Amino acid sequence: MANYKLNINNEPYEVEAEPQTPLLWVIRDEVGLTGTKFGCGIAQCGACTVHLNGTAVRSCSIPVSAASGQQLTTIEGLSDDNSHPVQQAWLDVQAPQCGYCQSGQIMSAAALLEKNPKPTDADIDQAMAGNICRCGTYHRIRKAIHTASNNISNGSK
Amino acid sequence: MEASKINRRKFMKLAGMSGAVLAIGFDSFAFGKPGTLKRLMAEDFVTGTPLNPFVVIAEDGTITIMATVPELGQGIFQAIPAIIAEELEVDMNQVTIVKSSASRKYGRQSIGGSRSVRSLYQPMRQLGAATKEVLLEAAAQQWGVSKDQCYAKSGLVHRQGSGETLAYQDLVASAANIEVPKKPRLKPKKDFKIIGKATERTDLPHKVNGKADYGIDAQPDGLLYATIERCPTLQGKILSFDKEAAMAVKGVKEVMTVTRTVYGKKNTGVAVIAENFYAAMQGRKKLNIKWDNAEFKKVSSKSYFDDMKKLAKEDGLSHKDQGDFDVSFASAADKLDVVYEQPHQSHSCMEPMNATVHVRENNTVEVWAPSQSPQVQRQFARNLGIPENEAEEKIKVHLPFLGGGFGRRSMNDPLEECFQISNTLKKPVKLIWSREDDTAQGPFRQGTVHAMKASFDNSGKATGIQHKMVSQAITTQSRSSNGKIPFEVMEGINTHYDFKNYSIQYGEYKSQIPIHWWRSVFGSTNGFAHEAFIDEVAVKAKADPLQFRKEKLKSEPRQVKVLERLEKESNWSKKLGNNEGKGLAIVESFGSIVAHAVFLKREGGGVIISKVVSVVDCGVFVNPDQARAQTEGNIIYGLTAALKGAITFKDGAAEQSNFDNYGMLRINEAPRDIQVHLMDNDEAPGGMGEPGLPPIAPALVNAVANLTGKRIRKLPFDLQEV
Repeated sequence: MANYKLNINNEPYEVEAEPQTPLLWVIRDEVGLTGTKFGCGIAQCGACTVHLNGTAVRSCSIPVSAASGQQLTTIEGLSDDNSHPVQQAWLDVQAPQCGYCQSGQIMSAAALLEKNPKPTDADIDQAMAGNICRCGTYHRIRKAIHTASNNISNGSK
Repeated sequence: MEASKINRRKFMKLAGMSGAVLAIGFDSFAFGKPGTLKRLMAEDFVTGTPLNPFVVIAEDGTITIMATVPELGQGIFQAIPAIIAEELEVDMNQVTIVKSSASRKYGRQSIGGSRSVRSLYQPMRQLGAATKEVLLEAAAQQWGVSKDQCYAKSGLVHRQGSGETLAYQDLVASAANIEVPKKPRLKPKKDFKIIGKATERTDLPHKVNGKADYGIDAQPDGLLYATIERCPTLQGKILSFDKEAAMAVKGVKEVMTVTRTVYGKKNTGVAVIAENFYAAMQGRKKLNIKWDNAEFKKVSSKSYFDDMKKLAKEDGLSHKDQGDFDVSFASAADKLDVVYEQPHQSHSCMEPMNATVHVRENNTVEVWAPSQSPQVQRQFARNLGIPENEAEEKIKVHLPFLGGGFGRRSMNDPLEECFQISNTLKKPVKLIWSREDDTAQGPFRQGTVHAMKASFDNSGKATGIQHKMVSQAITTQSRSSNGKIPFEVMEGINTHYDFKNYSIQYGEYKSQIPIHWWRSVFGSTNGFAHEAFIDEVAVKAKADPLQFRKEKLKSEPRQVKVLERLEKESNWSKKLGNNEGKGLAIVESFGSIVAHAVFLKREGGGVIISKVVSVVDCGVFVNPDQARAQTEGNIIYGLTAALKGAITFKDGAAEQSNFDNYGMLRINEAPRDIQVHLMDNDEAPGGMGEPGLPPIAPALVNAVANLTGKRIRKLPFDLQEV
């Protein structure tokens, strides 16, 4: 066991864990932020996606020891009031069904739009192909990303 | 619910006890008065109804409608309260929807069979209307006018021609003393303001910020985490395991055997319980279990399908037998004689199976049940020796949101396992199945074989078809079928096609592979084989597949109208380019009719699904946006089964384990253009959770045949290899 200092959503946390413990379980069960989900444990489904220094990563496959001292953002840190353009767009198109994968979908989409505010369909395919949605909301996710992209560019004019 | 069955005396008693709370068919357990109200059950007020949800109007104006049906993505959290609100004459933005617990007072809370709106549409309207009627009467009495001179709108009672209004919250106290009408008048469809209109789902804001509570998110104080190593083969007995090695892992608290029941078969595994999930998983790796499972090692997909194909050559049980197919086939000028085959599938809910249970030292229990069948109180009470009449008081069951269900969560094996662990330790325990457990342990969707034959006369006209379906059945896994066709196995086979000789048979196969309800169940497998074969017959008869179906389904006007609408919306008759193909299919299942047209295009060296156009006749729909969403989802779920993974068995075990070897359709493979059109009619509500699935795979392979001339009769297949 070792002590790790984590910065999650601009809040400092200190946790005690085995070095190889996946960051996912530390975020969920030690820190208590349960919006980040367990889906596969092998970085195949994207349900556990968080931002590490602004990049979308699969928290199930990053040991806590590698995340110490880095800037982490989870779904809870995207906004206090669902005001992030991606969250807004997700609600506009009523994207979620069961909703379980959507934290990860939204975090992947937010990271995409941060780097590429005007993604093409091909860009969306590439950035979002790591996130499985078993309810099959892909059609609406694509629409929501375009909606968010439009709102971001209109807002910045 | 029939309002006439509300027992007025008890109704008044409840209303009296709760002061200015108007209660119809419920108790207000959840509203801070547990001491006075929790022993009053819905059954005390209403009898003979399938479900007793509840409406609470508080003096402060809060109008609460309980969401009592588990929400797994189908939008029912919003849909049932919307039905009540429509007749109650309140706007959705005036309503607070509160998730209920599991309790008999809500009637049956299990979900499946695309049943919720179908079974609750009338009862919930009557509930809402009866509630509105007593409010109208209370206002009429206050004004000294007849009820006919009053009408309700947006939570207010209006007095006609006077401009006077009274708010519901100011009427609840007196309304509680008014007899509930036996037959409340329901609104005509033309007056609907909520039903049939797209309303935003109130559960979604919490599903975009991580706050929605799923079963896997339960975190009671002192929680321990459990994982279970189960037999890798379908069954097997534990010979030995290394408890000490697992216990030696830091954080591991206990190691114990746990038994899971699947259709009467007991499967015992070894649970490792630890302070955190990582430690539990590390401990599990040290168990080194030795299994006695030699007899189960013989099971394989190869033997399963070989056996079923043999069975398909024999006579089955007759489901439909019109004319004499054997004679027409024997004397046919031309024939089709082909076999369709579909593999087992896993449900693969995004939220892996899990359960959280706390059996306390004082024999009370708290349960977080991510289940399609969450009313586990009586079962747990029997195990604990709690009298049945105390079960609800001593066993509290939370209804979390479900991260998918697809039928899998109608089996409560994770709750069964978790209960045993918590009951032994008397501590709160969360059991989480790994994705590997979830994929490989089943139960699975059935694998099926379909022997399809058609006869044609000299002029090329189809004179007869036969569909012989061979499969295990779900409901006869632990009993004999006694020569009767199990009710579930013929779903999705369209018996209305007008063929002079029409034979449909079922051959029952028995296997140790456990199968279970999987989204649209036999509709998924039957719809594929039947509609793909109808297409083969149409093409061989040199007919357009859409016109052929219209001609052969004349006895079913609703199906014909769906086909006509699809013809129009998909621009079906438009000639396609050389690199394009189209296919369609129509299936009626779970009370609704859905037809899909799939359009394919060769692009960049591969084939893409460029467009799917759907027409849905589900009768009256509550929320059109969600009816469309369910259809979009069914298209993806069905395409996944058609194009991606299969569960196969070798040496008694599933060969797939996780999303790396059991693939799911991803956004880059999904159709970019999906258009769903809803028929507008006054038919009774049909299901929406499943009917969109059965026609997608046949529409796809029919499009492949149109594009390439090649018939796909075995799923899954690789679209890039056609």
